Amino acid sequence: MLNFRTLAIIKRELREKLLSKAFIIMTVMLPVLMFVFIGFQAWIMDYAGDSNTKIEIITETIDLSALLENEFAETEYAKDTSYTFMYNVMPKAEIENYLRVRKTDIIDESLTGVVFVPLTALSDKKIEYYSKTPKNLTVSEKIEWPINRVLTSEYFKEKNLSKEELGFARKGIDLAGFKVSKEDSFEEQGYGNLVLAYLFIFLLYISLLMMGQMTMQSVQEEKNNRIVEVLLSSVSSTELMIGKIIGAAVTGTIQMAIWLLPVVAVISTAWFALPPEMAFDFTLAQLGYLLFNFFLGLLVFLGLFATVGAIFENAQEAQSGMWPIMMLIIFPFFIGVSMMKNPSNPVAYVASMSPFASIIVMPGRLTLVEVPIWELIVSVIVNIATIFAIFPLAGKIYRVGILRTGKKPTWREVIKWLKYKY
Amino acid sequence: MYALEIRNLSKNFGEVKAVDKASFQVPEGSVFGLIGRNGAGKTTTIRMMMNIYMPDEGEVILRGAKIDNEFKSRVGYLPEERGLYKKMKVLETLLYFAEIKGKSGRDLEKKARRYLKRFELDDRKYSKIEDLSKGNQQKIQFITAVLHDPDFIILDEPFSGLDPINTNLLREIIMEKKQEGKVIILSTHFMDFAEKMSDHIAMIDHGKVIMNDSLQNIKSKFGQRNITLTHSGDISFLKGSPLIEKITEFGNSTGIRVKEASQTQELLRLLVEKNVEIKKFDANDISLQEVFVELAGKEVDNNGKEAAHA
Repeated sequence: MLNFRTLAIIKRELREKLLSKAFIIMTVMLPVLMFVFIGFQAWIMDYAGDSNTKIEIITETIDLSALLENEFAETEYAKDTSYTFMYNVMPKAEIENYLRVRKTDIIDESLTGVVFVPLTALSDKKIEYYSKTPKNLTVSEKIEWPINRVLTSEYFKEKNLSKEELGFARKGIDLAGFKVSKEDSFEEQGYGNLVLAYLFIFLLYISLLMMGQMTMQSVQEEKNNRIVEVLLSSVSSTELMIGKIIGAAVTGTIQMAIWLLPVVAVISTAWFALPPEMAFDFTLAQLGYLLFNFFLGLLVFLGLFATVGAIFENAQEAQSGMWPIMMLIIFPFFIGVSMMKNPSNPVAYVASMSPFASIIVMPGRLTLVEVPIWELIVSVIVNIATIFAIFPLAGKIYRVGILRTGKKPTWREVIKWLKYKY
Repeated sequence: MYALEIRNLSKNFGEVKAVDKASFQVPEGSVFGLIGRNGAGKTTTIRMMMNIYMPDEGEVILRGAKIDNEFKSRVGYLPEERGLYKKMKVLETLLYFAEIKGKSGRDLEKKARRYLKRFELDDRKYSKIEDLSKGNQQKIQFITAVLHDPDFIILDEPFSGLDPINTNLLREIIMEKKQEGKVIILSTHFMDFAEKMSDHIAMIDHGKVIMNDSLQNIKSKFGQRNITLTHSGDISFLKGSPLIEKITEFGNSTGIRVKEASQTQELLRLLVEKNVEIKKFDANDISLQEVFVELAGKEVDNNGKEAAHA
């Protein structure tokens, strides 16, 4: 199959794609876009939009009020004046009346909320928060901790504890994650691998869509410009299809390799020192596997995209043929993202060795958990088997579709093509 | 032995019989005209000859053996619907289409440049195809069909869209290729070109080969009782003359069929008597167009009768 004709086609595809402006721009721009995208996402999550928050804290005793005032004065958000706190003392019975007075202020948001810390909170830690949006997590997260610290200190004050003991009681938990693997040591794992897995899944997903789109367009160009007529007088439709797909798959793999160069640099050199919580654990061999698996997966998907391109005459009509393939890409993407929460979920386990899904899910799993070698091999075998299962059918449809013109075929007709002797 | 033999070739597209048991033989070193109306089945026949379509029935025999994919490297094809990569440059295009035929290297590039020069396109070597005029694109397409020096050159409507000068140039190159012993298959619905250039003719109508012979044989077979006349003056008196079976005007010439072969001389005498200025009087000559209309027209008639019958 790999004769001079196929090689000539591969060569042309590579020359045309690798040197095209679109390819160069995308190769450079995508990482930039991705950082902008992830950065924006992180920023919008982080951006609380809670500056100018005014909270009134009401207690039943002046002592407690003073303690709280001291504690809040220490917080960042009070220091940078994004939060202003007012303190008030009144018995529990008067709260309701007071709130009625302040009601309009709370509704027009000149007062964000009122926190009532009753004396009973010293024993049961139950406090009340009155606001227009009481479930606003940004606000409640910020006021909970200082109040908790004050209540804890007060609770233990009568118990005659030392300062260290008190310090201990006030402290939260620091959970360090250690990765258990076949290695002797247990390594503390930061967020590095999580970020890396996210990066891989994102890149694989984007690249699949892009290369698929490109391949489909290039098949349609040949079909619509009737270049295919001349081509088929020189090569068989199988040679043409294989040449185009291998050409595009090599292009995609090269692009992926370029995108992953920074990861290679981090692994193999000491030029980039990552902060310890961002350090990751990934080997060059695993990276090589990722690229190889991606290449196989590209062959599968580009075969499908090329077939859809051959069936339809223009991009618009092709949309209706695209969505089944898009599903095959989007679902694995979601499964991949779900691994961010639980890398060892059973759906991801199965998907990482299933046709179509393994291309995206397996690299993610490989980054997050220890994957036995045999599973990696199964994934490769599944991909190769998928290629052999799909191509005879795809090739047949391609062969009929590529020379066909006229009205948009129905799926029923396309299935009939499989029986044609063409 | 024939260079190429088409045996009993059939191809259906659903209900439509595109080609129906077509058989003809292409002799070595000839220009072979494949003629027929639009949609008669010429292109489908050609596609089967080149292994682009698999025939439902029948086979294509190349010098005694069934054709395979390797045959493609020895064919040059100019399809009726032209197609080139728009963004590719001229010279690059020529080299690529030769490369998939298995030809490359410095000599080939030199040859490509020579062809470009001959077609007065050597200043456009590095232009993109899309920047060329339609006519120039067609010239490039023609060069891609002959650059790799194929043994068989299949040209589907090669002259459509070309000006007279380029038409001549194309014809010149086709004749050169014939001199070199190449087989040229010319598919066209312009009978005029086919008649001027072909040695052999196969006529296709409704997917069937309705005639297949050398041009000479066709002419002598259909030419009896036919006269091709070039003249000036009024010949309307011939209409209604007992000598005449049929008169067809072709603009420059007139096709006349007499009722009996012996009446040819009588017709000439009559024309002289009536003071018609005769420039050319070709006895036993018939244009391909007349033959075609006669054969294909009959076909239509038959069908009509059958329809009426049913």
